[in-house]
Parts: sequence; C-alpha cells; structure tokens
Amino acid sequence: MIGIGAAGPRGETPRSVLAALPLEHGGWAELDLTGIDLERDRPFWIALSLVPGVGPVGFARLLRRFGSARGAWAAGEGILDELPRVPDDAAVGMRRLRRRSATAIARAVETATRQAGGRVVTALEDGYPTALAEVDPRPPVLYLSGDPEALQATCVAVVGTRRATGYGRACAIEISDELARAGVTVVSGLALGIDGDAHLAAISAGGRSVGVLPSPLDRIYPPRHRELAARLVATGGGLVSELAPGQTPGRPDFARRNRIIAGLSSAVVVIEAPDHSGALLTAAAAVDCGRDLFAVPGPIDAAASRGCNRLIADHLATLITSPASLLHRIGAVAGGRAVSVASLSESEGLVLGHLLQRAASIEELMQKTGLATGALASTLTLLEARGLVDSYSGATFHPTLTARRIGRQTGHPG
Amino acid sequence: MVLAETLCASILGVDGVPVRVEVDVAFGLPALTIVGLAGSQVQEARERVRSAMRNSGFELPARRITVNLSPADLPKDGTGYDLAIAVGILAASGQLRDAARLARTGLVGELALDGALRPVPGVMAMAAAARGAGASDLLLAAGAASEASIVPGLCIRGAATLGDVVAHLAGVREIAPFVGSALPATPLPFDGPDLADLYGQPLARRALEIALAGRHNLALCGPPGIGKTLLLQCAAGLLPALDDEEAIEVSRIHSVAGLLDRRVPLLRSRPFRAPHHTISTQALVGGGPRVRPGEASLAHRGVLLLDEMLQFRSDALEALRQPMEAGSVTIARVDGALLLPASFSLLAAFNPCPCGWRGMRRRACTCDEAVARRYAARLSGPLRDRIDLWVSMDEPTSGRGDSRPQPSSTVAQRIAAARRRQLERQGMANGDLSPRLFDEAHGISPSVLAHLASRGRSFGLSPRRLHRATRVARTIADLATAERVSPEHLDEALVYRTPVQL
Repeated sequence: MIGIGAAGPRGETPRSVLAALPLEHGGWAELDLTGIDLERDRPFWIALSLVPGVGPVGFARLLRRFGSARGAWAAGEGILDELPRVPDDAAVGMRRLRRRSATAIARAVETATRQAGGRVVTALEDGYPTALAEVDPRPPVLYLSGDPEALQATCVAVVGTRRATGYGRACAIEISDELARAGVTVVSGLALGIDGDAHLAAISAGGRSVGVLPSPLDRIYPPRHRELAARLVATGGGLVSELAPGQTPGRPDFARRNRIIAGLSSAVVVIEAPDHSGALLTAAAAVDCGRDLFAVPGPIDAAASRGCNRLIADHLATLITSPASLLHRIGAVAGGRAVSVASLSESEGLVLGHLLQRAASIEELMQKTGLATGALASTLTLLEARGLVDSYSGATFHPTLTARRIGRQTGHPG
Repeated sequence: MVLAETLCASILGVDGVPVRVEVDVAFGLPALTIVGLAGSQVQEARERVRSAMRNSGFELPARRITVNLSPADLPKDGTGYDLAIAVGILAASGQLRDAARLARTGLVGELALDGALRPVPGVMAMAAAARGAGASDLLLAAGAASEASIVPGLCIRGAATLGDVVAHLAGVREIAPFVGSALPATPLPFDGPDLADLYGQPLARRALEIALAGRHNLALCGPPGIGKTLLLQCAAGLLPALDDEEAIEVSRIHSVAGLLDRRVPLLRSRPFRAPHHTISTQALVGGGPRVRPGEASLAHRGVLLLDEMLQFRSDALEALRQPMEAGSVTIARVDGALLLPASFSLLAAFNPCPCGWRGMRRRACTCDEAVARRYAARLSGPLRDRIDLWVSMDEPTSGRGDSRPQPSSTVAQRIAAARRRQLERQGMANGDLSPRLFDEAHGISPSVLAHLASRGRSFGLSPRRLHRATRVARTIADLATAERVSPEHLDEALVYRTPVQL
C-alpha cells in the first residue's frame, strides 16, 4: 500500500511515501515513436495490448526489445519472457489469441468498440489525450467514448472514498459544481460515493465530466452507474477505459484506472479518503505524474478524512480552504451564475449568517439564534426553497454555493 | 313444548352479533348435538354443559337434544354460548318453567364443570348486540358485569353459578341489577419516560408534538443510541384523554381482544401499542380464521409505535398501508369483507442503514453499498408517502443545553388544546381530513394554497405529499392557537417533508 499510515505528521517524509509507491517507470520517455508507421503497426498495437500480462510497462519493454509491435507479435510466445509480471495462464491465453491474425483481432475490437459507442485510440495517434501522452508509463491503447473536446479542456480529477460522510459528499458536490461552472472538465472514477457525486454535480451544473472506467466500455462498473455513464457521454463528457470490450476487469485494472485519472488531469482533488482508500492511489499517481494534488481537510477524529489529513500533513497535497481557492490555484476563473439576492428577513439573515460560519444542526442553530423550533424550521424551509440552504440527509444544514457567494458580497464570512 | 330459545351473542371482528340458541328435545337415542357452524370450542360446550348441569342439581334428559345456533351461517367460536345452551336445554326439558323473563334476557358466559359462571372476552360488544336484539336484561358472570355495564340501556345482572341464573329466571331468587361504581373520567397516571428526562433533539420533539396533536404519522431516522425510542415512548404520556364516545369505541375493541382490565372496564388513556418487530402480518393488522383485531386496531384512536421499523417483515409493513390511508382494516373472508377500525398515529424509528451511520456528519457508514440499498428498499414508496413527518436525527454535537426542555405535562396540555380546536372546527383530527375537505372553513386561504403550490414546485413534491403537508400545517396552526394557516406554518410543515435519503 501507499505509505500513508497512522504515523504522525513527522513520522514519514514525503520522500519515503513516494518510495513506497508501487509504480514502475516504463521507459516510454526514451522510446522513439516517431519512426513507427501508424497505418501498418496499429493493428499490432491493439492485438499486442490484449496479450495477458502486457500492461503499459510491458508494452514499452516489448517495443524497445523488438522495435515495433509488429515485431513483438511475430516473436510469438517468446515475448512472455520479456514481461515483468506474467499471469499463469498467459501462454494459453496467448495461443488462443494468436489463432487469428492481428488484423482480424484489431478489426473485431474496433467493431465491438464502435458498438459500445466508443473508439479505439493508440498512443501513436492524434486522438490520444495529450495530458496522458506525457505520462510514463502510459496505456498503449485507450477506448474512449463521448466528446474528444472534453479532454482537451482543463481537466481536474475529483476523487474520494466510496464510503463517504455527509460532509464529504457535500464537499464533492460543491467543488465539482464550482469546477464545472468554471469550464473545467471533472474527471473521476465513476465509483459509488464521492466519485459519483462529483460526476453528477458537474453535469448538473451544466459542465462536462469524464469517467475513467476500471472495466471495458461495454460493461460499466459499478452497474448502478450505467445511467450516469450514459449521461456523462450525452452531456458532452465521456468515458475512458483501458480494456477492450469483452475483457474482464481484474484487480490491477482498478489500480491502473487511478493512474489514468491522474494522468488525464492537471490537478487531483482528494475529497475524503480513509487509510488504504483507492483515492490515495490516485493521489500517489498524481504526485508521480507531477500533477498538482489538493486535499479537503476533515475533522482529525474522522476516519474517513484520515488519508486526506495525512496528505496535507505530509506536504504532499495542498489544503483546500474553499472551492474558490482551488479555482484560483489552478488558474481557472469562476463561472457565472444567476444569483438572486432576494432581501432576507431578520431571522433568515440570522440563520444564514450562522450557517455561513459553520454547518449546524437545528439544535445548534436554536442555541445560536435563540429562535423557537417552529420559527427556525419555517425559516430553514424558506431558505431551502430559495436555494440558499441544503442539508446532509435532513439532520445538518449548510449554506449552498449561492449563499456563500451572497455571503461574500454582503461581508458575511464564508 | 319441547322447544326453547335463548339469546346469546357472538363477535364478528370487533362487533357483536346476536345469536339465538334454539334447543329441541326429541325422542330418540340420547345425544347432544350442536349445529350452526359451531367451532371446536363450541362443540366442547357439550361436556361443560353436561357436567355443569349435573353438578348444579339438574339433569341432562336422556333424549335426543339438538342445539342450533342461529344465524346458522355465521361461524362461531368461543365459550360464551355455554350458559345459553344450558338454560335452553333446561327450558326445553321442562326443568325451568314459567320463565317469562327468558324471552328478554341475553345469556353470556362460560360454564365451569361445577356450574360456576366464568367471564368471556368481548362482553361489551355482546351486550350491545343483545340490546339491539331487543333484550332488556343481560345475565353474565359477575366478573364481567362492570365491563358490560358500559353499554347503556341494558340491565346487567352478574351471576355466580348456573343455579343462580335458573333461580332468577324462574322468579325464585332475583339477582339484583349491577350498579357499577363511577367509571373513570380521566386516564390513569402515566409513569413512563418524560420529555424533561431527555436532552436535545428539539426538532424531533416538535415533530412528535405535531404528530400527536393532529394524528399524523411520524418517522424518526438516526444512528443507534441517540434516544429515538425513548422519545417515542414519551408519546404515551402526551396523548389527550379519550372522550366518552371514543372511550366506549376503544374499550370495546380491547374487550373483544380480551385485553380489558375487568375492574376498570372503560379505557380513558389512548392506546399505545408497541409490537415487537417479529410480529406476523395477521397479528399486526388482524385476521385469522376467527377474526381478531390486530395491533393496528388495538391502537385505534391512539399510537402504534414501530421501533426498528425496517426490521419488521415487509409484508406486515405493506399491510399497514390501508389503515394509514383509510383509518380501517378490511379483512377479506370467504363470507364477505370485515371492516375493523384502525385509525392511529404511526410513530416509527429506524436506523438509516444496518450500521446506523449513513449520511451522518461525523462518522462514515461502514455498510456494504448493496446491503444498505436492500435495507432501504424495505421502506416502499407508498409507505414513505403515507408518513407525514420525517425527522433525521444526528448525534447532539453539544452537551446538555442550558435551557431545560419542557416537561411532558406542558406539552400534553398544548396537544390536548390543539385537539379540542380540531374537534370543534371539523369534528375530527386534522390527520383524518380528506383532501377535498380543505377550504376556507379550515382557515386555509387561496393565498396559502398558492404558496403551497410554489413550494411544491421548488421541492418537487407530489400532490399527496402537499396535501399531507397542508394537514400538518393546519395542526401547527392549531398548536399556535391560530385561526388561519399562515405561510410560516406551511414552511414549518415542509421542514419535515424529506423522506430521509436512505
């Protein structure tokens, strides 16, 4: 695991954290891809990437050894000896694969991908995401769907645990909302919890969002997010996968997905991550790829925020004080939004003022404002109806982005 | 004359039905046959009657005796027919003569083998049935006399033995009419938890007050150990007393279920039923071969508390949909449908997920996503729709607050006053109002309705939810002793609108 454990802030230096990363360098940077004949070698790239055990690292190694994918394919089972890690059944799988020609395999994959609404892009082509082309190792073949433009814009990854608290979900929504309105593409892993909230908030704000799948395009994982995946594509975002249609995702695919998320983005924001969260793998990949890493701090006694707090304590991630501070750091300009500063009554102003300082339960608000339960309740409904206040599952109330903006204008802290 | 007829009564659902016991003594081989859809408990009456008669100094004629329980197509069960059968046989066999009183006397009771008379459940409903059948007197076990005496217009006589009954009917030794002691006019003092014993959770307190004042349904959702159950248990001490009419109605249901304290046969406290979550559907809503009122009917005019609501069997929960909407339970039977009253306030408590921390601010949920989904799916949409007030409770973030919460007695006074206002205005609780009953007469102006519609658009609420919110708003206005419902009342009602995101 990534070396972010229970040790105190001085327990580990950033260096040791990086040293513990299970990341290998594939030597893509040293490869000269310019001499490769795209037309001729493309089918072999696709076919070779399907060989069991050929990952981004192994692929680069084969290119270096045999000069081209075509050459590696011709070497047959011999290439398995060159690979860093080979599954037990690799030879069987390879024999089965080689029953057909590379051209036939590539054609079948292209057809299946088209049927899944996607397209095949090798690292040789123009359509390959520019940001990912700087990363080492990079996936030799990608399966993309949706609008290619989405990945050309500034991309920021918003990731976090599947088991989010109300606080984490609200943060994911606020930050993604703000990013989307600023024209930033929100990248995430389409997982349940924070990832799903981030995607949804981005498209709800009218922005674009790209989901990086741990599974092939024709087999959305988790299945519950199938509809969300379709909406991402329909709203000008897209999906990215490293697996060809029909392939079965395995454990390493989930970890590699995190690398792609970081690779596609210029910055990674970790919303909420307990120890050993997959989001920390993304964080590690971000540091490794030289991406800006941000983390949302949480209460020091909250298990769900321990990973984030550690990233900040270890100086690996920059602490986010507000969505606006994130935009400022990544150089984006906050998007416009129709803000109607309706005149608030005295009690509404009182309640909102307190909420702008800190999210609170009804009980806390009663103590702070001195309002009776009934009066407070009707005030909260009114603020909710105006879109100024929202709640974490009805128990804790917090101001919305709009309210924060009004708060800034009127001098309330926020 | 070898034919005799006596009057008894049976229970159908929660109502009494007069039953005529016809006895024919004919020549033939000695036999005692009971016909008229008599169940096994009634068939066993033969042995009880035989022994009781012999031990009371009478004899069972060695003739062919046929007993018919009429109406013969009504299934009958229970032991209350013993006395009527025994007296019928005595009259038909000439051991009881000149019994002019017999024609206008109802007879209800189980016989012990020594001839002693024992009380049976449901005499209140039976007494009403006997009166309806033209009886002026009702003879029953002394222990059940006070329970039957709740029914007016009937002379109740409590007897100790079969011999006493016969002596009375023959005019030899009259049994004095039962004169009950004054019936309680107020509920028994409540010794359960008091609102002052709890701290924090003002929204849940307020919602409980509203639910009880207007007979609305309330659901509390929150992590374990924050006092959901304790708070709901306070409800028993907050409910207003039953009025005279309600007291008789409720007592009768409890009498049928055999749950009434015979010494204090009139219930003045509203029922507070808290069935365990392992309860069967039948026990919850009533039914069975011999239809008995379920917990839903026993909670009629009171509270049905479902603690750990999502642990209940889902078919049992779904069966509550009808009473929550219509205030009664329909039980389909071979011979037609039976309607049992079941108008209650549903008070429910549950955890948001199996681990209990889903969506809470400070702690993350540790449940598997699929498990949590399945758990939440137990609360179906129609059931969610029927709950008027939702409160999501989180841990109190501060310690004991400075202000001491109001004790139950203060809150109970407000609730009682609000109920009175509703009864004076519309003759029923706000929770019983049907959608078309809402108009100016209920203090709901067109401008408030427009406000409601606009909120409905903001929050995306269904018409049913909006209607329920209006009823809650009416109750909030009643608690504030306001004639008219204001937009503020409506807004408060809408704070409780969220069916908690599970």
